Amino acid sequence: MVRRRTAYQSSKSPRVRAVRVAERVALYAAVLVVLVVVLIPYVWMLSGSFKTSLEIQSADITDPDLAPRWIPRTFTLDNYRNVNRTVRILDYFMNSIIVSIGTMLLCLALSILAGYSLARFEFKGKGPYVLSLLVTQMFPGILFLIPYFILFVYINKWTGIQLKNTYAGLILTYASFALPFSILMLRSFFATIPREIDEQAQIDGCTPVGALFRVIIPVAKPGIAAVGIYAFIMSWNEILFASLLTGRETKTVAVGILEYITNQEARWAGMMAACIIVTIPVLVLFTLIQRHIVEGLVSGSVKG
Amino acid sequence: MEAPVRSVAGAAGRRVARVLRRRRPLPYLLIAPALLGTLLVHVIPIMWGVFISFRDLDIYTIANWRGAPFIGLGNYLEALDLADPDGVLFMRSIANVAYYGVVTISLGYAIGLGVALLLNQRFYGRTLVRGLVLLPYIMPDSVAYSVWRFIFQARVGIVNSFLMSLGLIKEPLVWLVGTKTMFAVMVASIWKGWPFACLLLLAGLQSVPRELLECASIDGANWWQRFRFVTWPHILPVTKTLILLNILWNFNAYNQFKVMLGDDPGVYAEVPSTFVVRQAFDNLRYGLGASMSVVLVLMMTVVAVIYLKTLKPGRSVED
Repeated sequence: MVRRRTAYQSSKSPRVRAVRVAERVALYAAVLVVLVVVLIPYVWMLSGSFKTSLEIQSADITDPDLAPRWIPRTFTLDNYRNVNRTVRILDYFMNSIIVSIGTMLLCLALSILAGYSLARFEFKGKGPYVLSLLVTQMFPGILFLIPYFILFVYINKWTGIQLKNTYAGLILTYASFALPFSILMLRSFFATIPREIDEQAQIDGCTPVGALFRVIIPVAKPGIAAVGIYAFIMSWNEILFASLLTGRETKTVAVGILEYITNQEARWAGMMAACIIVTIPVLVLFTLIQRHIVEGLVSGSVKG
Repeated sequence: MEAPVRSVAGAAGRRVARVLRRRRPLPYLLIAPALLGTLLVHVIPIMWGVFISFRDLDIYTIANWRGAPFIGLGNYLEALDLADPDGVLFMRSIANVAYYGVVTISLGYAIGLGVALLLNQRFYGRTLVRGLVLLPYIMPDSVAYSVWRFIFQARVGIVNSFLMSLGLIKEPLVWLVGTKTMFAVMVASIWKGWPFACLLLLAGLQSVPRELLECASIDGANWWQRFRFVTWPHILPVTKTLILLNILWNFNAYNQFKVMLGDDPGVYAEVPSTFVVRQAFDNLRYGLGASMSVVLVLMMTVVAVIYLKTLKPGRSVED
């Protein structure tokens, strides 16, 4: 123990310095390994999207001349130029944009009101309601997938309202999925705003609802944007319900992307280009709200 | 006849109005739209699902659900009947997902913890690296697992090409059909899942007071002792929450199997979600599928309750 302490203090001895240097090298090497592992699929996707279909289809790992390469043999932009030709991915992209923006707006409208209620009022049943939000958050989609689908069938039969294969049906579904997390997030955002601000507004003649719209919402804009983007990304990525509730006209990118691989043909090059196009919006939006989402992840939980 | 009805309705309305006034209606009105959404999309379908699970609802009876015969626990008995091939496959799918969960959760946690400890060191470019390690987590499921499907292709994929260049295999291995499917999905899932663990653990690590670590090292504690007695108690609460979330999510894993293996993942990689979806929407046996999902949720609840009772997550070091 005594020896250790002296070693700790005499940091100028060459042996200790050598150990320090070795530690630094090991640290950077480990970071490099992590980055390589993280980036391999991204780089492979990017490289695949610039290859010709011929190059990918004729690739053969057993033949050194045809082995798959990281750098495309012939660099092409055709996969991006013809992206809508084999699979209507741009149409699906538009569908995803509509559904995701719709989800974002509906979810925000509902969760701003509910979040405000939870942040500013004491009322009977508040505790159980918060608990029910946490429980709903944990409900697996598979539990209500089948009855939900059948409900859509019957609603159509009884009222003539078509919900399957419509934007409205999907938006309602996804907005409800995003609700519990959004409400809890907004509640904590609103709670950070000093009560004096909206009390002052109410003294000046605002109703509580007026205070929400005139004071709270403008102040909480960053938090609201974060929650909106969370809802957007969630509906952009959802697969299970999208594969059952969408049809030709409303298919979203998350399921549309799977169409590149059929029993007859595997169009990897086109698929990789589509993958890039589908990933970019998520990447950009996530970067914008990273700080908030990370805080939210730490304090609560986002569906993975 | 009309007048009394109206007056009864009026009285009821007045009573509701009085209750609302006494309890201050505004907070309730504000949560009402959200509550309605949750009712429509979650609560009613779930109750309906339990109802359906007791009926023999299939493609023939769906036209008139009231006519679907009530068969009591029939669907449940069929789902759990080990003399029936479907019952066996259902059990197999539960075993598969347990295997999948144990491997991906523990390895994902170990990698996440290792990288979190690494990123908690001071080094040049740390902020950038902390952002970059989130890339797998950000990538949409359908994109990530499509790319991994490409990577695991037998003749054009880089996994086989890497293994061959190392001389570990002579012939390309078939990863996405047959016995190795589960392994391929696990690798992809771990790649996608560890940053989440890393993120939470990194936040946990930041709660460890530096003075405490310094004190420990001055007192002669070695690396392992500092981790075990100073760091670990601080990341234990987040670990417990993290594992619970992972258990709940992985029990319902669907996307990775659907995207990498298609609608029918085969017996080695069949999981409950894919199996339920196929029973309901390929075999059109809605009642059976609904009963299976109820069984799954009950099992999940039991696991979660046992976990909560034994480990008591959510407690901090101070408690």
